Amino acid sequence: MSGAAIRCEGLGKRFDDTWVLRDVDLDVYRGEVLGLIGPGGHGKSVLLKCLAGLLSPDAGRVLVDGEDLARLGPLGLARVREQYGYVFQNYALFDFMSVRDNVAFPLRQQAHLPPAEIDARVAARLADVGLAHALDLLPRELSGGMKKRVGLARATVGDPAILLYDDPSAGLDPVTSSKIFQLIARMHRPAAATVVVSHDIDRMRSVCSRYVMLEHGHVVFDGPEAALADAPESVRAFFFGAAHKHLEGR
Amino acid sequence: MRNVLVGPVSVVGRASMGLMATLGGATMLLGRILRALLPPRFDRDEAWRQLYAVGVKSSAIVMVTALFVGAIMVIQTAFYVQRTGATSLLGFGVGFTVFAEIGPILIGLMFSGRVGANNTAELGTMVVTEQVDALRALAIDPIGYLVVPRFIAMIVMMLMLMALGDVFAIIGAALTADTLVGVDPSVLIGDILDSHLLDEYLLGLGKAFCFGVSISVLSCWYGLGVRGGATGVGRAVNNSVVANAAAIFFIDFVMGWIFPVGL
Amino acid sequence: MNAALERGFRAVGAPLVAVGSHAFGIYSVFAQVVMALLKGAVRWREVVRQSYLIGNRSLFFITVTLGFLGLISVYQVASQIQRILPDFTMMGPAFIQLMWREFAPTITGLMIATRVGSGIAAEIGSMVVTEQVDALRMCNADPVRYLIVPRTIASTVMVMMLTIYAVFIATIAGMVLADVVFNVSPSTFVSLSMVSGQDVVLGLVKALSFGFWIPIVAGQAGLSASGGSAGVGWATTRAVVASSFAVILLDFIISGIGYTVFDL
Ligand SMILES: Nc1ncnc2c1ncn2[C@@H]1O[C@H](COP(=O)(O)OP(=O)(O)OP(=O)(O)O)[C@@H](O)[C@H]1O
Ligand SMILES: [Mg+2]
Repeated sequence: MSGAAIRCEGLGKRFDDTWVLRDVDLDVYRGEVLGLIGPGGHGKSVLLKCLAGLLSPDAGRVLVDGEDLARLGPLGLARVREQYGYVFQNYALFDFMSVRDNVAFPLRQQAHLPPAEIDARVAARLADVGLAHALDLLPRELSGGMKKRVGLARATVGDPAILLYDDPSAGLDPVTSSKIFQLIARMHRPAAATVVVSHDIDRMRSVCSRYVMLEHGHVVFDGPEAALADAPESVRAFFFGAAHKHLEGR
Repeated sequence: MRNVLVGPVSVVGRASMGLMATLGGATMLLGRILRALLPPRFDRDEAWRQLYAVGVKSSAIVMVTALFVGAIMVIQTAFYVQRTGATSLLGFGVGFTVFAEIGPILIGLMFSGRVGANNTAELGTMVVTEQVDALRALAIDPIGYLVVPRFIAMIVMMLMLMALGDVFAIIGAALTADTLVGVDPSVLIGDILDSHLLDEYLLGLGKAFCFGVSISVLSCWYGLGVRGGATGVGRAVNNSVVANAAAIFFIDFVMGWIFPVGL
Repeated sequence: MNAALERGFRAVGAPLVAVGSHAFGIYSVFAQVVMALLKGAVRWREVVRQSYLIGNRSLFFITVTLGFLGLISVYQVASQIQRILPDFTMMGPAFIQLMWREFAPTITGLMIATRVGSGIAAEIGSMVVTEQVDALRMCNADPVRYLIVPRTIASTVMVMMLTIYAVFIATIAGMVLADVVFNVSPSTFVSLSMVSGQDVVLGLVKALSFGFWIPIVAGQAGLSASGGSAGVGWATTRAVVASSFAVILLDFIISGIGYTVFDL
């Protein structure tokens, strides 16, 4: 384990006059699966987008392998992003492309692979997520769970070293959710750094080795499950499923 | 080969089917609006709010457009006046095109782009977020509450902006005449005022009234007919501005035909 | 007193700041498009597809609007001529010249701004709010280069072609009206005797710059969309207004330069 793959230092982000992230310090190491939890609307997706350089921070900085994203410039950013895979909360499939082209897109953009090899890798990855039969469908012809799995295939087809999943099982039935988390575990290579945002804590426990909890844009907990015993009552309550009662009480 | 032949025919066919549906739907909406006006059954406060909102949204862009319309017409007229030596016609040419023809068309197009498109977007968003259904559930008539106030606001504002826009167009014309063409602004303005253009001015206002009716009815019709999320709203706005532009040219033609103006 | 002054400054300042940042946004998209063009990184297949879409979407629309414009212009001019000097020989040639110089490019530009500009903003805007543009970025596909550059090239070419078509349609409409209502024979009406090479160049330069700027202005509006369906509607509105206004502004600039510098 050689330093952090991603490191946030004093990260802050605001929209108009509201700070959505405040003073977030966070390290993501290679080899670990980090679970990012917290109530809805408290900044998880925004943090993930800052980690990917899709939003630029209004305070602090984000370092990827020691390089500040804000100082990289377009070419450097492109080089860094070749390592990333991102599963978006609302799928973000390209609606003018077939499933096959969606998944092939990152390979066509980044690597200079021969078309035959691209086709083979796309077919193999779609078979992994159980969509071998859907190659030529358009996104609007897919169900929600299928879209999530296509998004997953698109994010992982290039075997990225940094994987960000934004709520990969939202709105899915329990069986499909379990399958998705099995896939996440399978896609995670030993040298990769993975961040999973989810509300599905039961299933996260089978893949995540460490948790970070965000509340009102602050990090209120950072550590493995074993450290929860010393965590504030509010964090434990959220983690063990009493989130709603606790938040309403405050 | 077949495609080459069938393509244009089917395009025209589909376009005319769409035209029929739009005309029918918009006419029925206009009927319902008029019924709500006689006797008046609509929300007065909302009408005032809309009047203010429409005015705030559109005055700046319409004024600036008018300035440029006047400027462009001076340049084009000067070109012909210079070639033919008929310098006395500069004022008439500028005034005629600005008041009766190009002024109304361009100001109408800008108004449709700013207010009509915005209106379709607003109503369309209310439809996809089910706010219109919520109104119905509260036994509030969407026509009386949403459509009629916008109808009134757009007609009134379109008339006012046309009346004012003509003034700004003259200012733009005078500024350009001075700087680019080398004609003294006071001479140009005097020329325009001496050209007996009252009929043209009134024709422009008449067109503005009709544009106000068509823009409000069409933009409401497209807005209330939105289906399917963000993409649907975007598409409705697109259709609405296209229909409004076609309507503006059609109205311009019919009005010019019915009320011939000029020397 | 101070508070009132501050409120006054805000009322004047806020729109100015908004216009300024909008203009800067457009300039930055423009710069990126130019960079991409200089590097030659263009997806030609997409250019062809976009050209087809632009033509297909606007041919009927241009036929209708320019047809009516041709009819009413000839009707009004001919009515004036009939009353003062019943000599129609110059009417057709002058009409065709004025179409080339001014109305065909400008009205075509405005129609494309309305039809295609709003379409571009709606399309790109809904890609933004559904995070597809973020997904493009994550795949290292630059949204400006990927989405806006092909549309810019396509629209530059198509607005020029459609302008020529617009002259044609307006002339046909005017010719029919002149023949039926004022008894001017088509052979008298249709004549290019007054159209000089300079007029043609002036018209085409206008068409070229309208075609180039419309996707940039509209694409910028689409890319700055935010927040659900309301955001897309708002971006589409802004695209229509801004690209129509760009056409009028460019028309003024080009006409002004043409008149003062080249005596056109
Ligand atoms: N582009 C934006 N403009 C303005 N506000 C935004 C934007 N994106 C997010 N926000 C605000 O930032 C806050 C955090 O949003 P975020 O999407 O990160 O929540 P989240 O933790 O991912 O919630 P969920 O679990 O429901 O996905 C919200 O209050 C949201 O309104
Ligand atoms: Mg989220």
